[in-house]
Amino acid sequence: MTPDGPIKLVSELLDLPLLDSNGRFCGIVDDVELDGEPGKSLKLKALLVGPGAYSGRLPGWSMRLVKWIAGDRITRIPMAEIRTIGSAAYLKQTAADLGLDKSESAARRWIPKRGAL
Amino acid sequence: MNPLELTLGIMTAVGGFVDISELVFAAKAGSTFGYALIWVFAFSTVGIIVFSEMSGRVAAVAKQPVFNLMRHRLGLKLGLVTLAASMIANLITCAAEIGGVALVLNYLSGAPYLLMAVAMTAVFILSIWVLPFKWIERTYGLLGLFMIVFAAALVAIHPPWGKIAGGLIPQVPPGLSRKELLNFAYFAVAIISAVMFPYEVYFYSSGGIEEEWSLKDIMTNRVTAVLGMGLGSLLAIAILSNSAQQFGPANVDPAIPGTAALEAAIPFGKWGLILALLGMLFAIAGAAIETCMANAYSIAQFFGWAWGRHKKPWEAPRFTITWIVLLLLGLGIVLTGVDVMTLVEFAILFSILVLPLTYLPLLLLSGDRKYMGEQVNGPVTRILGWAYFAVITVAALAALPLYLLTSGGNG
Repeated sequence: MTPDGPIKLVSELLDLPLLDSNGRFCGIVDDVELDGEPGKSLKLKALLVGPGAYSGRLPGWSMRLVKWIAGDRITRIPMAEIRTIGSAAYLKQTAADLGLDKSESAARRWIPKRGAL
Repeated sequence: MNPLELTLGIMTAVGGFVDISELVFAAKAGSTFGYALIWVFAFSTVGIIVFSEMSGRVAAVAKQPVFNLMRHRLGLKLGLVTLAASMIANLITCAAEIGGVALVLNYLSGAPYLLMAVAMTAVFILSIWVLPFKWIERTYGLLGLFMIVFAAALVAIHPPWGKIAGGLIPQVPPGLSRKELLNFAYFAVAIISAVMFPYEVYFYSSGGIEEEWSLKDIMTNRVTAVLGMGLGSLLAIAILSNSAQQFGPANVDPAIPGTAALEAAIPFGKWGLILALLGMLFAIAGAAIETCMANAYSIAQFFGWAWGRHKKPWEAPRFTITWIVLLLLGLGIVLTGVDVMTLVEFAILFSILVLPLTYLPLLLLSGDRKYMGEQVNGPVTRILGWAYFAVITVAALAALPLYLLTSGGNG
């Protein structure tokens, strides 16, 4: 990973859009996974994507609503899969390779593939 | 800058400027307060130009539309609140536009209103499905230029141009009672809301991404925003002035959207009426599509889905399902039988409440040199942006009390 500048986790990485290697939007950084112990330095381990990752950021009552509407799926993107971070987080692989394409694929089954210019 | 593209862009913005809320409030403002509210239209137009230019510039430089940035700036909690509020505002606005289109078709053909609402929703779904972004925008925007008949009607009735020009000076008409003053304030807030609807900025900035704007399009963005919206606003002012001249003295209250079409019928007869109704039909239809797509853009951008109508519908499936569902929800609201004017009033009310939350992240981001580099807000844009933000915040705080005190401007 080669960030474009110093990363202040909370203000700059959270809620950043994710773009896969084909330049397609494929999620938002909903939370981050850190590695470390109290008193020692923390290391950014992975980005968490999906409604399940809201749990640390929303009150409990609203999480029940989120879970009812969108489920509690979480996809974990290891930091090694991040190409660069700027106005978005750019991934090294496609959304499908990283498991970020499941909801989109499920929705695609409902859409007829004809008729558009 | 490609001159043809630029001209088409400006014409599209002009034809797409007026929607049902502006139409209704311009006509009512003119008949109730004469020319005294023209300055509010002019003032709000400068505001929407400032914020549209800002959002287009951000799209061109940061390659990010408004809602991506909004969530990043406001965070998840406040972002979700903003999303929910703007969804409600845009959905009600979309329903009002679908109802407005159905009413105009009812006037034109005599066919049942609800049947026309269903038919036009089907046409909208078909249009968005079949046509790529640019064609959708241009088709409805350019056909909306029939609205120019309102400007022609104003010239034809030889209005008191001095009084119209005088309306550009900020004023409160003298001698108003307390009740009339409250009504005047409600109309001022409603016009600010109608001209600066949040969906316009969502749609404009997402359109910039759809059309792959880059640094070379900065000037196109600026000219389109200033001329397109500035000239579009003249049409709204023409509707207000026609109403002040023709309806006010006769004590006609343009309580339904169709009344405004009579402004062109008086000087031009049957063909004036038909052209006015056609202009209203396409302008309101364009706004119905814009509100629906703006809502779908917001949702898709907030959750990081693939989006846009530069892609085939099956290439952005969640986005596609979202805009279809939103159009059907808008139609569902119309089918409950709720009056179009009530929808317009609720659209105005909800939209003004969302405006500060829409424009704050945009102001912060377009003023952030880290994102914008050399294209960061200059001193004029910065001062205007914050001044307008202060005004819309005051308007948002005043909107609900004024609505209740005046029974939605009918008090």
